[in-house]
Amino acid sequence: MEQIVISGLIFGCVYGLAALGLVLIFRTTGLVNFAHGEMAMVTTFVAFTFLSTFELPFFVSFLLAILFAALFGVLIYLVLIRHVGDASHLNQLVLTLGIFLAVHGGAGLIWGHTPTSFPRALDGSSIQLGPIFISPNELFVLVVTFILAMALFALFRFTQVGLSMRASSQDLTAARLMGINVNFVFMVTWASGSVLGGIAGLLTAPFTFLGVSMMFNVLIMAFAAAVLAGFLSLPGAVIGGLIIGIFGNLVSYYWAPEMALVCTFVLIIVVLYIRPQGIFSAPEAIKKV
Amino acid sequence: MKDRIMNRRTLVVIFAAFLLAYPFLVGQSSYFMSLIAMTAIYAIAAMSLNLLTGYGGQISVGQGGFLMLGTYTAAVLSAKLDMPIWITIPAAGVVAGLVSLVIGLPAVRLKGHFLAVATLGFGLSIPEIALNWKSVTAGYSGLPMMRPEAVSSDLAFFYVILVVTMVITWILLNIANSRLGRAFLAIRDSEIAAAATGINVAGYKTIMFMIAAFFTGIGGGLYAYWIEYVSPNDFTIMTSFFLLAMIVVGGLASIWGAIVGAILFTIIPHFADSYVGVTNLIIGVAVILIILFRPSGLISIGELFGRNLKTKELESAPVKPDQKQSSEVTDAKF
Amino acid sequence: MLNFNELTVQFAGLTAVSRLSLTIPEGKIYSIIGPNGAGKTTVFNCISRFYTPTEGTIEFEGFDLSRLKPHQIIGLGIARSFQNVELFSKMSVIDNLLTGLHSTLDHNIISISLKLPSIRKTEANARKKAVEVLDMFGLTQFADEKVENLPYGYQKMVDIGRAIMVNPKLILLDEPVAGMNSAETEKLCELILHLRDKMGITVLLIEHDMSLVMKVSDHISVMNFGEKIAEGTPAEIQQNPAVIEAYLGEVEADAEA
Repeated sequence: MEQIVISGLIFGCVYGLAALGLVLIFRTTGLVNFAHGEMAMVTTFVAFTFLSTFELPFFVSFLLAILFAALFGVLIYLVLIRHVGDASHLNQLVLTLGIFLAVHGGAGLIWGHTPTSFPRALDGSSIQLGPIFISPNELFVLVVTFILAMALFALFRFTQVGLSMRASSQDLTAARLMGINVNFVFMVTWASGSVLGGIAGLLTAPFTFLGVSMMFNVLIMAFAAAVLAGFLSLPGAVIGGLIIGIFGNLVSYYWAPEMALVCTFVLIIVVLYIRPQGIFSAPEAIKKV
Repeated sequence: MKDRIMNRRTLVVIFAAFLLAYPFLVGQSSYFMSLIAMTAIYAIAAMSLNLLTGYGGQISVGQGGFLMLGTYTAAVLSAKLDMPIWITIPAAGVVAGLVSLVIGLPAVRLKGHFLAVATLGFGLSIPEIALNWKSVTAGYSGLPMMRPEAVSSDLAFFYVILVVTMVITWILLNIANSRLGRAFLAIRDSEIAAAATGINVAGYKTIMFMIAAFFTGIGGGLYAYWIEYVSPNDFTIMTSFFLLAMIVVGGLASIWGAIVGAILFTIIPHFADSYVGVTNLIIGVAVILIILFRPSGLISIGELFGRNLKTKELESAPVKPDQKQSSEVTDAKF
Repeated sequence: MLNFNELTVQFAGLTAVSRLSLTIPEGKIYSIIGPNGAGKTTVFNCISRFYTPTEGTIEFEGFDLSRLKPHQIIGLGIARSFQNVELFSKMSVIDNLLTGLHSTLDHNIISISLKLPSIRKTEANARKKAVEVLDMFGLTQFADEKVENLPYGYQKMVDIGRAIMVNPKLILLDEPVAGMNSAETEKLCELILHLRDKMGITVLLIEHDMSLVMKVSDHISVMNFGEKIAEGTPAEIQQNPAVIEAYLGEVEADAEA
């Protein structure tokens, strides 16, 4: 059973990272990015292209792919997202759905629909720690997640950019009046979000597969984690991801793999019914009428 | 004004006549009849979704799940319990409507993006349950369906679908233009004002989910009989995405807009299916373009024509002095 | 008609309204005035049941309001307008007014779905009423215009018009002339008097525009920091030292310094 928890934890790291990207984007720009998973998928494919076609070493490809992810995020923001800043929430959401479909279709045309395997970051046999076995690659996932999460919290809390992000999310007009270059802040946000998603993809692919549908499952779990975080709490996103990962894996093993998703959905519904703002968020302020 | 109404009614009549004559226009080809039959089924789902999302403002990214509930209810009742079509199809609607409470009741307290994720989870869960609940749904292998004797031919069942769709369209139009439709719009625009004018916001949110699910379920039931086979792959999360795309591109809060969207996004895949992924790309790009450049949807272009007609009428009539507009509210008579 | 008994409203440590006791007599125009943040809109929101008081009760014609949910208040005959103009912005003017009648229209989904004659009749009657109200406000030419396209002054009119549609017994007007110029304020003044005199509606008014308040009110209550500090006729209020201090106190202190 501990083994299942540990491997659930590893998946949870991936969900947490992806959720972190979602929450970051929502918290700063107010937008739910349904295309998050597809953007991550493209990043993973780009990494694979560096690895296989250009035969670059793993970590070089990894870093180049992250650079791509950042630029991709900025591009999506500048070309598309920026123009719907004032639109209704539904319109913004549907735009990201449109991006989802377009990227999904486009990726299929470029890279085809046959799933392939993706190499691991660290090879080697599993190490035994007490009752559990953990592979070097899994350790890699844990470490990367931990470092990234810490880095992001530090960025958000302690830097000028982070402060600007928080200010923009509270009140856009005031932020602008305070001299914050909102466009720049949003570009950084989308770049960071895309990078987080991309890393989630790069960490997932070795365990599952590389294909245009690779992020479907991760995305829904990431959304579940983001919901638990109330879409607002960054630590909540990571913790939520870990919870979902462990929970999903337990259901997968003790019931059926398909039911992991169903049970996660039921879990979210129950949580939201009891606490509509998520577990890790404060209750809604009362709106002045 | 009269000219405009006449124009719209005539258009509808011509359209209906075309649809009724359609099978004979295409030589009773099964392929082409299927095209319109599927469009009709998607139109039912799209119109229902529009009532919920366009009018009521409740984001639902899982409407495909209700189609699947409809297909499986009809299939299970017909294949396993031998029930006739006039029970299975309404039952499909009723079951979908009841299951919608799973979303509808929590939806009351959920804000936009939370609701979107919850409905996304719902839309993803239904096919998984269908896959897993082998005792009832036969899992991956699916269930075969048989049409009733009287309407077993493609031609006959085509008309069944067409007539049912027309009736549902009429009903949904009636609902949309009634106090119920206004209540939905009110909830979308201001829940506070809606409550102050006597609208039970929580109750109506639940009702709109049920209505949307009910008619979509019926659409699913029709699908089951048309294809004569149901499987867990029939309606995936992509279906849910497509349905949203249909109503946004067609035009939110417009029943006719939903029909336009359904026609567009059912016909396109049939001509774009040569390369897998082209469909998604085209639909994705279409959605992006509409959101960026014409957020009120394609149907608003039609309304533009209507408005141009009206201004032409006004221009020809003489302007009376006391009809002059002012920015001050000085015309009030107390 | 409307009774406040020791009404107290607290939000997480902040006391918005403190032990307010008030009686609004029927058929009169009653104003509540006071500096910003005095708790006036909070009182309205308690009547509308958007807030639940921490202590105390509100009774309308002897009926305790705390037993009701927000959407049931209009059924008692209480309608309201909003400080921030809570209109259905994407609906047309006439649809906004028609929605105002929601609580009186037929409930049956079957008759609605099938557009039975009973539905057609009630809709037609509703439209007639809406046209009357449009006419009353001089908004007829805007009937089909989307409300969000209207100038602010007109929007406030629609807000009030929607409240009038049900012929309420009591109407709550929250800062109806905020942002209006003197001509529009004048017209609204006439409207408020018209509501009392010709339509027999009791008016509870929150307002900052003192000339309007003094002109139309039968009674005034003054609130400050959540408490009622004075009550009486317009003449009495104008003389009341506590009121003068609440509004002008700082200016006087500066003048003396």
